[in-house]
Amino acid sequence: MRYRKTALLFLAPFLSVFVAFYLAPVVYAIYLSVFIKKRTGLGPAKEIFGGLANYARAVQDADFLIGLKNMFLFGIVQIPVMLGLAILLALLLDQSRGIFVRICRTVYFMPYGIPTAIGALIWGYMYAPNLSPFNQILRALHQLTIDFLSPDLVLFSIGNIVTWTWTGYNMITLFAALQNIPKDLFEAARVDGATGWELVRYIKIPLVVPTIRLLFIFSVIGTSQLFTEALVLRPLGYVADNITPNLYLYLTAARDANYSYAGALAILLAVLIFALSGAFLRRVGSR
Amino acid sequence: MAPNIFSLILRHRELRTARAERTKVTIGIAASLTLLAASLLPASGASATEYNEPDYSKFKVEDGQITLEFWSWVGGLDNTVKDFERAYPNIKIHVNNVGGGPAEYQKLQTALKAGSGAPDVAQIEYDFLPSFIVTDGLADMAQYGANEVKPYFVPWTWGQVSPDGKTVFGIPQDSGPLALNYNKKIFDQYGLSVPTTWDEYAQDAEKLDKASGGKVKMGHFYPTQAPWLIGLAWASGGVFFKAQGDTWIQTLNNAAAEKTLTYWSDLVKKGYVSSIPGFTAEYYTALGAGQIASSVEAAWGPGVTAASLIDKTSGDWRAAPLPQWSKGEPLRSGNWGGSCDAVTKQSKHPKAATLFAIWLNASKNPVVANWIQFGIFPVAISGLADPDLNAPDKNPSKFFGGQNLMQLYSDASKAVSVDFAWAPWFAFANDNYNKQIDALFTGKMTPKQALDAWQDECLKNAKADGYDVKGQ
Repeated sequence: MRYRKTALLFLAPFLSVFVAFYLAPVVYAIYLSVFIKKRTGLGPAKEIFGGLANYARAVQDADFLIGLKNMFLFGIVQIPVMLGLAILLALLLDQSRGIFVRICRTVYFMPYGIPTAIGALIWGYMYAPNLSPFNQILRALHQLTIDFLSPDLVLFSIGNIVTWTWTGYNMITLFAALQNIPKDLFEAARVDGATGWELVRYIKIPLVVPTIRLLFIFSVIGTSQLFTEALVLRPLGYVADNITPNLYLYLTAARDANYSYAGALAILLAVLIFALSGAFLRRVGSR
Repeated sequence: MAPNIFSLILRHRELRTARAERTKVTIGIAASLTLLAASLLPASGASATEYNEPDYSKFKVEDGQITLEFWSWVGGLDNTVKDFERAYPNIKIHVNNVGGGPAEYQKLQTALKAGSGAPDVAQIEYDFLPSFIVTDGLADMAQYGANEVKPYFVPWTWGQVSPDGKTVFGIPQDSGPLALNYNKKIFDQYGLSVPTTWDEYAQDAEKLDKASGGKVKMGHFYPTQAPWLIGLAWASGGVFFKAQGDTWIQTLNNAAAEKTLTYWSDLVKKGYVSSIPGFTAEYYTALGAGQIASSVEAAWGPGVTAASLIDKTSGDWRAAPLPQWSKGEPLRSGNWGGSCDAVTKQSKHPKAATLFAIWLNASKNPVVANWIQFGIFPVAISGLADPDLNAPDKNPSKFFGGQNLMQLYSDASKAVSVDFAWAPWFAFANDNYNKQIDALFTGKMTPKQALDAWQDECLKNAKADGYDVKGQ
């Protein structure tokens, strides 16, 4: 009993903040989500209990479902590209020594240090059809120019910003994991005649798999929360309301003042991601 | 977070801010701005015409020391409000620019929902005002005597803040009647005459396209600014929203809208008119490089253009009345943008807040300062007629070769139909428009289909949000 009290005491700082800023908003969102607006004439709307009406609306909301589809498409393309690049860079850096490696490490990591909004703004200028340096090069080569902000491409343009921001972060994490591999393993392998590639294939990669797994989960969660890049690019042209589910529910709340429906969308999105990450963890955890 | 992001992006409201910042730099230090404001004072005394101001003594304010929080994206207000603080020593005004337009609205909606954190007074554009009325966030200023000052404002702008003629949800600040802005240098170079009808405009466009080898566009279509098209259709008698008894009628695909969009879509498809998203670096680069010869702009537009291009093409521009569909018809114009200052229900000093909102928009000094510092086109009737607002050596007139823009836009303002209403879900319709226009310009839809899709999707969303609304 005394131990339990002590444990609670130590947990209190975390728990109080967790409850206030994490659990309470979730509970509030659930509470909000069961109300619907009752409008009479042109006056202010009243909030009345609507049961699961908002949830029923959400699962039939084509715009929201397209947003979810975009999110999956984004995750399927962007996460492997980003993690693949991060693994490659980490292995290369781990392989070499000297000042150049340290410079590279810092340079690759730098984009992560730039606030997302600022990064997206700068990319926004680089995507502007006529001002874009990429298009100026293409034009100089008498090629067709690319509209990076067109509805067909903008999701990939956002993917590029996210990859640019996060590859370095993932790389550093993997690099640290690689550095932690005990050196005697390599010595033993070399004694057994392992080549450079075999060291990578049979020692390094297997030993950083837990890290890759963790980064993958983080990336899935990050993908579900995509928001800032899309919001920043919006004033530059037509970027759909539902380019990401998070932007869609933000606009539902802050633009359309429909907090109840936004609450329902948020809960559904959270449940979906929770289920997906849970299923993944269970699958790979059992191995 | 979001409003900070928005405030970094060059949209028209931010550009107005940018302009104010640059003005400060040009003059040197902020202190000299105070001198500028002070120098306007004797001028008002010497003015020949009578400037008619409300009798402020009728408005009794709360006792004690009061600080009013004021959200606005109009630049230079820090100095403008000093006159008010001098006249009412127990009231301090804290001006806060939390971002322009949607960036501010999203903060304001959140603060109103949260129950705290909203300002006493907030700048809100007319088209977005109903969305705050239905969330029950704004005080009815009629209970603090706001109806007293109705005669001091341009009638149609009062209609925008007082839809039923009894309640008052804001004091009109500015309006945006439409006129044609054109680059006279380009017009002279290619021998174009200033069009008075849309037929002439289209002929000029074809001529310019041929003469310049397609390098110079006659005009500009704002592909992501629904209120621009609405303003043009408004000039042709288009009605988009209407309250009828307790229900709404939405007609985004009205005949005037279809006629207007068909006309512009044709010019865009022929390549005569550019369709770069407005208020972007991309657009101003093209404008400053002389690739766009004209643009239909609201009364606040010249100020934004001048602020964005600074020296480039300065003095080359002129403004002319909005072209009409047929020759010899009386001038008709529409409105794009314009805002009012509303008092929130969270305000602890609604009487003082009401008085301040009235003072800011009806008094001579702030009206003159807002035009010269920021290009804010007044809606105070006395302000429109005041000779001090014609300042050829100052922007925005200076950018327009010293032209008397006040006169031109005042005439445009008188040509705006007073019967025009907005619906609470306009914020949604505003964004949905961009989607349909994109489909139009990428060849997926005809103008009629785009407008029908706009109408249908907005109707569907409004109904799902509980509004009693129908089409025709």
